[in-house]
Amino acid sequence: MDDDLPTDFQVIVVGTGMVESIVAAACSRIGKNVLHLDSSDHYGGLWASYNFDGLQKFIKEVNSDPKRQLQVYNLAEKWYIEKASAEESKAEGEEKPEDGKGDPAKKVWTQDSFAAEYRKFNIDMTPKLLFSRGPLVELLISSNIARYAEFRCVTRVLTWLSDKLMPVPCSRADVFATEAVGIVEKRQLMKMLTSIVGYNEEEMNNEFKDWNDKTFKEYLTHKGLTPNLIHYVLSAIAGGTNSMPCLEGVKECKKFLMSLGRYGNTPFLWPMYGSGELPQCFCRLCAVFGGVYCLNRPIDKVQTKTADDGKTVVTIDSKSKTLNCDHLVIGINECPKDLISPEPAESCDISKAVFITNGSIMKSDKEPLTLLRFPPLSDEDNAVTVLEVGPATGSCPKGLFVVYFITNKVKDAESDLMPIAEKIFDMSGGDQTADTEKPKCLWSLFYNVKDTSAPVASTADSVHVCSGPDAGLDFDRAVEQAEQIFKKICPGQEFLPRAPDPEEIVFEDDVTHGPEFQREDEDAEGDAPKE
Amino acid sequence: MAKTYDYLFKLLLIGDSGVGKTSILFRFSEDAFNISFISTIGIDFKIRTIDLDGKKVKLQIWDTAGQERFRTITTAYYRGSMGIMLVYDVTNEKSFENIKNWIRNIEENASADVEKMILGNKCDLEAKRQVSKERGEQLAVEYQIKFIETSAKDSLNVESAFYTLARDIKAKMEKKQEASNPAGARTGGHQLRNEPQRKPTSWLSRCSLL
Repeated sequence: MDDDLPTDFQVIVVGTGMVESIVAAACSRIGKNVLHLDSSDHYGGLWASYNFDGLQKFIKEVNSDPKRQLQVYNLAEKWYIEKASAEESKAEGEEKPEDGKGDPAKKVWTQDSFAAEYRKFNIDMTPKLLFSRGPLVELLISSNIARYAEFRCVTRVLTWLSDKLMPVPCSRADVFATEAVGIVEKRQLMKMLTSIVGYNEEEMNNEFKDWNDKTFKEYLTHKGLTPNLIHYVLSAIAGGTNSMPCLEGVKECKKFLMSLGRYGNTPFLWPMYGSGELPQCFCRLCAVFGGVYCLNRPIDKVQTKTADDGKTVVTIDSKSKTLNCDHLVIGINECPKDLISPEPAESCDISKAVFITNGSIMKSDKEPLTLLRFPPLSDEDNAVTVLEVGPATGSCPKGLFVVYFITNKVKDAESDLMPIAEKIFDMSGGDQTADTEKPKCLWSLFYNVKDTSAPVASTADSVHVCSGPDAGLDFDRAVEQAEQIFKKICPGQEFLPRAPDPEEIVFEDDVTHGPEFQREDEDAEGDAPKE
Repeated sequence: MAKTYDYLFKLLLIGDSGVGKTSILFRFSEDAFNISFISTIGIDFKIRTIDLDGKKVKLQIWDTAGQERFRTITTAYYRGSMGIMLVYDVTNEKSFENIKNWIRNIEENASADVEKMILGNKCDLEAKRQVSKERGEQLAVEYQIKFIETSAKDSLNVESAFYTLARDIKAKMEKKQEASNPAGARTGGHQLRNEPQRKPTSWLSRCSLL
């Protein structure tokens, strides 16, 4: 079936990660003829979400393929529950939604019950949040791609202070309501936050002109904030550590504060069914505007040649077929080494972990969706981003939570992250029904990912290399990079103009019979879904 | 904004390339059959509001955007769908055999209780027929799915197919609501489905960016 794949395109995109997918959508949207390939059988590459079965396959694949381990390594999966329950559990199958009040009796999970509900899991390889007024949200709205996705608001931001979890007051109302800070502190905090939001670019440069080589912490101390407040602003709001440069801290704070009040109590949105949906939304738009999609299609060789008219043509060998295009957009993990110039410098890799637990890290009336920025435990450590999502996000079955840890690697994923896991989870296994203070960890996965997020230049003008996922909280760098690549391919063109709603597409001609409705061959010809 | 419908159903069209999914969509939504405009414009979905037992039911019918061609439908396409039309071409044996694969695909990706229906399209092309009506019926019985032969070109059964699917979804939905109403309790978080009758208390906590 693959063989009726057309061979000539203006743009070929290889890899369905976030950056690649945005570029594909943008090119297709303005009328470029786009082919989008992926060597794997699913969308997203390292940005994908997997159900529990898919995740098991992913782990097996990586563990058995040394080539894959150049991207993902140190994979360690561990169960904290039995394979099968000793006695047949009484209420098998569909758990009816609990009616009435109070906690339903805690279900005892087994490895088999995970497997039975594998489809209800959507576990992210690259979990990320969206700032409510960040570039991705604005792009989704302005391009009308928002209609392909749904979101939930992050309901709370937590921090780790004095050896326990504390909610971070986000909004003005929160600041006034919180009992964690005193009256005088409240006024101080409000003043500080209000002034940061108020600065425009110029004022910011003025106010902070002497702070270029100083840290944000020094600035906050200078402003007379108490240690408590410094912790809230630096760690929880700016997401920084003691060494965070002042200007960066101010900018991060401003970004946080500017995104408040648009959709919920916190500045953040989480995509339903996981971050892996987002590249697919852009792929859908690309397809709607005629982009051709083909997964399971590895490429073997890439060459650039100059045609007689001086134009560069990129040729790609794939499954004994030669594909031609004017521009090749390719994910860094799929890209032949000789096209990358120069080899990207060694960077700090990323340590990640996923936990499945039987309760939230901090009890809450309604199902919470939590961001926790865990400050470094020691000076050698990095801050850890913790995201906890529940069944309402389509991430897991009822009664469970999925918790993601992300940090810059120091030693390896398990050594970097286990100490923090032990602080907020009960990692001892054992009786799941016991009423423990901390939720029980039922399953964990630690892994390291090579950081391929630095922008990379290619050896040819018509080849554009897309970076991999970064350790950052949001998608901003991916969006920014996609726009830059698009501008190189289509200079002067609008980046993802609004796609019309179906209601807005009006057909001018009345019902007239088109060409004869018949097809001799099995398969359609042409690029569009002509049926 | 005043709501102009009682229910909103998201429906999908699934099946091999060239079986006539887009033609069925246009026949139902525009009462038109014209190939020339279909391939030119980016069609996401079409909308038609129908009247079912006194209720206004808005059908939002999504097309595959050609992503079925190399079996590359996104998992995102299936999210929130309530009904699926599985379409094959009666003049194309392969497209009929592939229905089983598509059903597997649906089971993997769509919600477990999604309503399904099989359509044998292009039944006007009797001379070229490769798949008999009986085989279609047999397959439908095997999967316990409703079946009907259609012709988007001659406008045969397209209308009644969508009405049937919509009626089944509505019946299932009302049954569910009846079952959950006596308890009267909403479980934490908002429903993943559009629930036009009960507006979530706060639209802020779960929002489409529109």
